Amino acid sequence: MLEAKFEQAAFFKKIIDAFKDTVHLCNFNCSPSGITVQAVDDSRVLLVSLLIGEDSFTSYRCDHNITLGVDLTALAKVLKCGNNDDTLSLVAEDTPESVLIVFEDTQKDRISEYSLKLIDIESDFLDIDDIEYDSVVNLPSSDFQKVARDLSQLSDSLAIVVTKDTIKFEANGDIGTGSVILKPFTDLENPQNTVKVELNKPVLLSFGLKYLLDVVKGSSLAPAMSVKLSEKTPALFEYKLPSGYLRFYLAPKFEEEE
Amino acid sequence: MAKVEPSKFEKELLTMSSEADASKAKDQTWGRPPLPDGFDPALNDISFQQLDAEEALTDGSSAVKFFGVTEEGYSILCTVVGFLHYFYVPAPINFRKEHLEEFIKYLRANFQGVHDVQMAMKESIWGYNGGEKVVFLKVIAANAKDVPKIRSGFEKGQVSFNGMFVSGGDGIMTYDNIQYLLRMMIDCKIVGMSWITLPKGTYSMVPSKDRISTCQLEVNIDYRKMIPHQPEGKWLKSAPLRILSFDIECAGRKGIFPEAEHDSVIQIANVVSRSGETTPFVRNVFTVNTCSPITGSEIFEHEHESDMLLAWKNFIVRVDPDVIIGYNTTNFDLPYLLDRAKALNLKNFPYFGRLKYVKQEAKDSVFSSKAYGTRESKVINIDGRMQLDLLQFIQREYKLRSYTLNSVSAHFLNEQKEEVQHSNITDLQNGTSETRRRLAVYCLKDAYLPLRLLEKLMCLVNYTEMARVTGVPFSFLLTRGQQIKVISQLYRKCLEVDTVIPNLQQNGSSDVQYEGATVIEPKRGYYDVPIATLDFSSLYPSIMMAHNLCYTTLLNRNTIERLSLKKDVDYTQAPSGDCFIKSSKRKGLLPIILEELLSARKQAKNDLKKETDPFKKGVLNGRQLALKISANSVYGFTGATIGKLPCLAISSSVTAFGREMIEKTKQEVQDHYCIANGFKYDAQVIYGDTDSVMVKFGYDDLETCMKMGEEAADYVSTKFLNPIKLEFEKVYFPYLLINKKRYAGLYWTNTKKFDKMDTKGIETVRRDNCRLVSNVITKVLELILERRDVPEAESFVKQTIADLLQNRVDMQQLVITKALSRQDYANKQPHVELAERMRKRDAGSAPAIGDRVAYVVIKTAGTKAYEKSEDPLFVLENNLPIDTKYYLENQLSNPLTRIFEPILGEKRARELLTGAHTRTVTVAAPTTGGLMKFVKRVQTCKGCKSALPKSNKGTLCPNCLPKAGQLYSEALASLNALEIKFSRLWTQCQRCQGSLHQDVLCANKDCPIFYMRKKAQKDVAQQALELEKWNDTEW
Repeated sequence: MLEAKFEQAAFFKKIIDAFKDTVHLCNFNCSPSGITVQAVDDSRVLLVSLLIGEDSFTSYRCDHNITLGVDLTALAKVLKCGNNDDTLSLVAEDTPESVLIVFEDTQKDRISEYSLKLIDIESDFLDIDDIEYDSVVNLPSSDFQKVARDLSQLSDSLAIVVTKDTIKFEANGDIGTGSVILKPFTDLENPQNTVKVELNKPVLLSFGLKYLLDVVKGSSLAPAMSVKLSEKTPALFEYKLPSGYLRFYLAPKFEEEE
Repeated sequence: MAKVEPSKFEKELLTMSSEADASKAKDQTWGRPPLPDGFDPALNDISFQQLDAEEALTDGSSAVKFFGVTEEGYSILCTVVGFLHYFYVPAPINFRKEHLEEFIKYLRANFQGVHDVQMAMKESIWGYNGGEKVVFLKVIAANAKDVPKIRSGFEKGQVSFNGMFVSGGDGIMTYDNIQYLLRMMIDCKIVGMSWITLPKGTYSMVPSKDRISTCQLEVNIDYRKMIPHQPEGKWLKSAPLRILSFDIECAGRKGIFPEAEHDSVIQIANVVSRSGETTPFVRNVFTVNTCSPITGSEIFEHEHESDMLLAWKNFIVRVDPDVIIGYNTTNFDLPYLLDRAKALNLKNFPYFGRLKYVKQEAKDSVFSSKAYGTRESKVINIDGRMQLDLLQFIQREYKLRSYTLNSVSAHFLNEQKEEVQHSNITDLQNGTSETRRRLAVYCLKDAYLPLRLLEKLMCLVNYTEMARVTGVPFSFLLTRGQQIKVISQLYRKCLEVDTVIPNLQQNGSSDVQYEGATVIEPKRGYYDVPIATLDFSSLYPSIMMAHNLCYTTLLNRNTIERLSLKKDVDYTQAPSGDCFIKSSKRKGLLPIILEELLSARKQAKNDLKKETDPFKKGVLNGRQLALKISANSVYGFTGATIGKLPCLAISSSVTAFGREMIEKTKQEVQDHYCIANGFKYDAQVIYGDTDSVMVKFGYDDLETCMKMGEEAADYVSTKFLNPIKLEFEKVYFPYLLINKKRYAGLYWTNTKKFDKMDTKGIETVRRDNCRLVSNVITKVLELILERRDVPEAESFVKQTIADLLQNRVDMQQLVITKALSRQDYANKQPHVELAERMRKRDAGSAPAIGDRVAYVVIKTAGTKAYEKSEDPLFVLENNLPIDTKYYLENQLSNPLTRIFEPILGEKRARELLTGAHTRTVTVAAPTTGGLMKFVKRVQTCKGCKSALPKSNKGTLCPNCLPKAGQLYSEALASLNALEIKFSRLWTQCQRCQGSLHQDVLCANKDCPIFYMRKKAQKDVAQQALELEKWNDTEW
């Protein structure tokens, strides 16, 4: 039996919206410690890893491991039906055919119930080795989102160059070039505005902007994010949740693939 | 290398040689029977079957060379001299006989080659004018090549004789424009492939020093002396033609389709047989380098490629084939040999025709015809030898899913062959004499199969009869379109009745349209009662005959008024408005031609029934087919706007009559078979197309329906003019009418058992679909129509869709193949893009131009179809995810909906595609993609499928350990099952290649087993790995 209740429907909605364009079908693995999702996009370049920890819920109960195979497009449709301030509960049996989604308007005593048919998705579990990253950048989510969106106007790939005291984003396109440079900066009053670089080794990596535009959809989940980079390894973009995280692993572009 | 057991085909070869030994002809003897000593032209008649004819020039005059074979099998070149080419112009009104001499002088002074001008009474074919003949001038030229200039002199107004022959600055119409060769054959009443007798004393032998050919007999004769025979009675026979089938192998480089400049020819296999005999009497392989012997076949080893090519050329000259066949020889083998000889500078090579001094060359030609589409091809002049490329023949005559030799043999001969890839050929050649022997056997089989196909499909017989019926030389049948056949017949008929054919300027554009046949709006649905089908037999020909539609009967207003003709008494007005004189006044030429064709067909069919000799039966059947096709092409000829003699008045009248008749039939049937007339039900015409109507009489038993169908056909026939006849042909029961030109049903002609399942326009044969679609559709129709089990059909579809979504469908079912053609495509095409990607990956195995590219659609980030295509083998190896959604929505959805909607209704039909069975999917975990190098697949417990922590030893989670014994034996059993499956597939492939002792090389992408075998191979390896993991499991 799974019973998981969010304080605000908006929270779950944001999570789903953050990666529903990346993958379409995925398993929600519910365990006593929380819900995890892991899925790869169709081109096998971007991996989504989500953990919604037990503490993200106002109440959470899951006795056994339960797998919910969900069509995210369908789920997003159902989630639109709830108001942002409603509470949201996910209810499922031990071997469920469908999952129950319940919105409760606490002020008006209005309860709406939706049942979503589940899909039995058979797929492998994937795991990414823990990597020692050469550089770790913390920056405001909105900054990164703006950089990605702006530079995507020019090109379909984005180079990220991290040196000791700058982070440089560069795009080279047919119509011209563009670059954005961020410098480390500490804002004690609004810590989320801080830009911080931890560097073992300078790095230069290129990514497909198409994928980055999917990544930045996570911006609404957290005001700050971290980007972890190493040469020739997938970059990790992480949005922290109050308890848990949404991570994107993105393979860099290699020259021979161009 | 160990002695290998002979393959099936090798055994077959062995039998051939022993059979041939037993027969009287000596096996493996190349030459023709020698001419008897002291052959004297003054004492011997020669009768021969002419096979090929060409125009020639002797002493400045045109002549025709006939190549042929006598009954004894001697080859002959007969030059027919004396026949001069000509055309007609209408004599101007004030042209008198006394002008003639002066006119001839005038023409000779102004034009080269004018021989003579004669006056003749003729009539133009165009229009009815009361049947009066007028004076025409027959302009005769010694050399046929001069004719076009003289003709255009008249047409362009350059001929002005005493102010005559010009009309307002323009020229005048000329008549009878047909090439010299056909003119001669028509005037001499020689039809293609017919026999000619040269009576003793009338012909002269060419002295051996002057001979230009390699034929045993080379003679000259005046055209007035020879005796042509119509193909009847004893002249129906065929001379013992020598048929050579050959195939070459080239040593290509990796990834490049062989190019003659660089890649050598390494083997040529030849099989020669005599027509009518079943066993080929010559079987050999010419090889470069050594080759182990093959029983039943001769091997000729050569050190150098150039030696081999020259030896092969000498072989051809020696064995002197009348017909050269092969598979794609016209566009590949022959041009390749010629180019290769050029690259090697072998000046003597390209002389294997029958004319000693004529060099063989390949020319490009574009053949365009409405019936066959546009095709580019090569034309190689091998004078005196007929060429019949089986690929071209089959492409013309049959619509198939694939035209590879392999699938064609599978289709017609029920026999598979292995397919060796280009790159493998080089490896085999560079191996030992044993591997070269393997290649030689393969090559020999490729040479033998076309011969088998030729026999099975009766190509030679059918085309021979077609040549005889239509009167054109054999070679025209493959290189020319439909029109020439009608033209030939029309000219022959015109000659008899002193009619001439205007040389119309071809300025008609092809997009002039007239209203075509009618289609009665279908009443869609699933009919569980018998539906009778009534057909007009030979609809268009019989309309033309019934209403006397012809060029010669076409009337215009002026003529009607001038001759004061009365409608319906003297002439008929077609529904489209054109008027034609009735046959009582004058019978049209086309109706006469058609009547002759159809009565000849009836005759042939009657003879066929009586005939017992299988060879003659084949001839007669070929003849009746040829007659039928010819009769049907007459209508098309009149409607071909870019043709020689288009006459839309005729063709549009034909279709107009046709439309009227279909409507009338519908009316008559429904008016007669109704409750008001005492029948139990009102009959309903549920569909009709061109020449047939489908009638629902309402009765639910076959017998009544058939009886009524027959009655109705006879009843309605009485309402139409003779020879239009409505026939009851078959009953569909049950019948699924999906839309116009789309239906399926069980086809009954008797009440005991249905004949077959008949489908039209349903995705069972189309090639741009994957096999899954046609298999599902076929099965579904079978369940619905034959077993009448709709629920079973539904559950079958559901099961298939569920399998598809869970990746359980065999890859072969999902493969789509398309030929990679030479053209540049305007849009990006899946198969073209894939070929490009494969070339980047590995140039060696990438498909080359001309190959068929096989692909499956996979999930990628891209959404365009061309981004989603992938090589099936690559998909297998890397476990790429199939885009099941694509297959469901783009391939299966429409055809299934079309079938099920009329039966189940819209809602339930849709449920088939979206129901609960679509809720279980499998997503393959791929091994490619930017990320996948860094990702590890987490081991899952074999028992409960939950992820195992890294620290876990072995393959089970602690919870499942107690079940280890059972799980292990399951894993073991699964490995065993896979091994058995693989070995069965492997053996199957070995059987197909004909030997159980050799590796399977075959990479035939059209074969249903190929991918299954590859998959099984991989599964076995994978399962073996899985089993290894148990080593760490402690239990």
